[in-house]
Amino acid sequence: MHIPDGFLSTPVAAAMDAVALPLVAGMARRAQRTFDDHRIPLMGVMGAFIFAAQMLSFPVGIGTSSHLVGGALLATTLGPAAACIVMTAILVTQALIFQDGGVLALGANVFNMAIAGVLAGYVPYVLLKGQRSGIFFGGLLSVVVSAALALGELVSSGVAIPRLALEISAGVFLFCGIIEGAITVAVVSALERIQPGIIREPHPAARRTAAAVAGLAGITAGVGALAASAWPDGIEKLTRSAGMTAGAASFFAAPIADYKLPFTAGTWPGRVAAALIGVALVYLLCVAVSRAFHASKAATKREGA
Amino acid sequence: MRQRCIEDWSRGSSRFHRVHATAKIAILLTFLITVSTMRSAVGWFTAGVFALLLATAVLADIPVLRLFGRAAVVLPFALCFAALSAISGRTEAAVLLIVRSYISACAALLLVATTPMPRLIEGLALLRLPRFLLQVMQFLYRYLSVLMTEAEAMRTAAQSRAGSLTHLEFRRAAAIAGVLFARAWNRAEAVHRAMTARGFAGQLPVAGAGSFRAADLAFAVTVCAVIIGLRFVLP
Repeated sequence: MHIPDGFLSTPVAAAMDAVALPLVAGMARRAQRTFDDHRIPLMGVMGAFIFAAQMLSFPVGIGTSSHLVGGALLATTLGPAAACIVMTAILVTQALIFQDGGVLALGANVFNMAIAGVLAGYVPYVLLKGQRSGIFFGGLLSVVVSAALALGELVSSGVAIPRLALEISAGVFLFCGIIEGAITVAVVSALERIQPGIIREPHPAARRTAAAVAGLAGITAGVGALAASAWPDGIEKLTRSAGMTAGAASFFAAPIADYKLPFTAGTWPGRVAAALIGVALVYLLCVAVSRAFHASKAATKREGA
Repeated sequence: MRQRCIEDWSRGSSRFHRVHATAKIAILLTFLITVSTMRSAVGWFTAGVFALLLATAVLADIPVLRLFGRAAVVLPFALCFAALSAISGRTEAAVLLIVRSYISACAALLLVATTPMPRLIEGLALLRLPRFLLQVMQFLYRYLSVLMTEAEAMRTAAQSRAGSLTHLEFRRAAAIAGVLFARAWNRAEAVHRAMTARGFAGQLPVAGAGSFRAADLAFAVTVCAVIIGLRFVLP
């Protein structure tokens, strides 16, 4: 589910951009470390493969069709960090060249599909020690998590979705997830027959990290669900304030008290300016950290030589 | 191929094509943020923004109707959510969703229609996006049509041997995807070997990178000022 531009309110879009930017930078660093430079062509070509595989649609039910999404497949073959970068590259290309997903909404789409979706696809695979069931649940979870996040972002942007439609879409997501799990398993089995050795066995040391990630995600989801069912009014109020007055999103721009610039309290230019300053701060932080990292790396290289 | 005609458009030589990609990205972001603050769909601001898009497309020598037609790919998604909004009794919000997403898609399309991919990557690199990500994007774009053609050929072959003409059966689609995956993987290894033989050491050379000039800065500032001015002046 690619969110186009024009759907997310400025604070939600800016918050998601500010969250996704450092995460992608960190993943790129990690992928570069674990996956040497010389394999850039492999990652690019596998990204193009996902595009091509999405053309192969097959019928589901009556009159509808489905295709591979690919987050879990990439995670099991390339590893999570590289899969995240490939998915990000796919999403940026889709947004720019194919108008599939928005440019301002890129942060949200990257977070939903390339970060949360890939991790959700990888964690069950590691926890179930690379078994078929792990691959299936990985595919299922990756689709359900990305779609649920996208829906949550739309709702907190003030897009009106009736309760019935939300319930129906929960069922649809589950169904799509089962399809994705099944096709991921089918592709992996076909692959093992054609060319054994492509599928990476998960590293035993990764299991503890995966368990931690799964636990954290479970707790977050549980607390969120409990909060939503216990105080539906509170959530609605929060939603309204995030969509309309932007007060709720102040967490990501902590230096700007109450998420408003004093001279334009509450008007739209003020909100936009505050959102932009928040994103700019995160951006500058990323540039500064990467500068520092490069400087220290260069220093150790000099010492070594 | 859908990206083919965008490639043709992006090789034009208008004034707008020659502006540095970073300046155009800055303009696009300003435009999108300004549009995202729209509160009513029908008004002078919408008209002004459309006039701006139209003028840019005409000045950049891009077929206007085809451009606006292609941007309509966002409409199915927008219409779906607009219908939900309308059911909830918020007709105005529904129209707003459609107009905002359509205008945004037109603007993003104008950027890629006036900027060839290598220039766009340069522009993003100047904004300090992770270079690793940009290199992956370059390879992805380069092999996109190769793998899509291959997938298309394999689907045609499967359909002509057995099965229905419209859709593939689930297991057949999965098997084709598996073969395509293995072929893509082997192709990537061959590409890497060929590149290593030609001296590739983890960095792609940038051919004829243009520098960001004062004129580009002036252009970006002027257009951004016009966009923000429109938002303030027009209701």
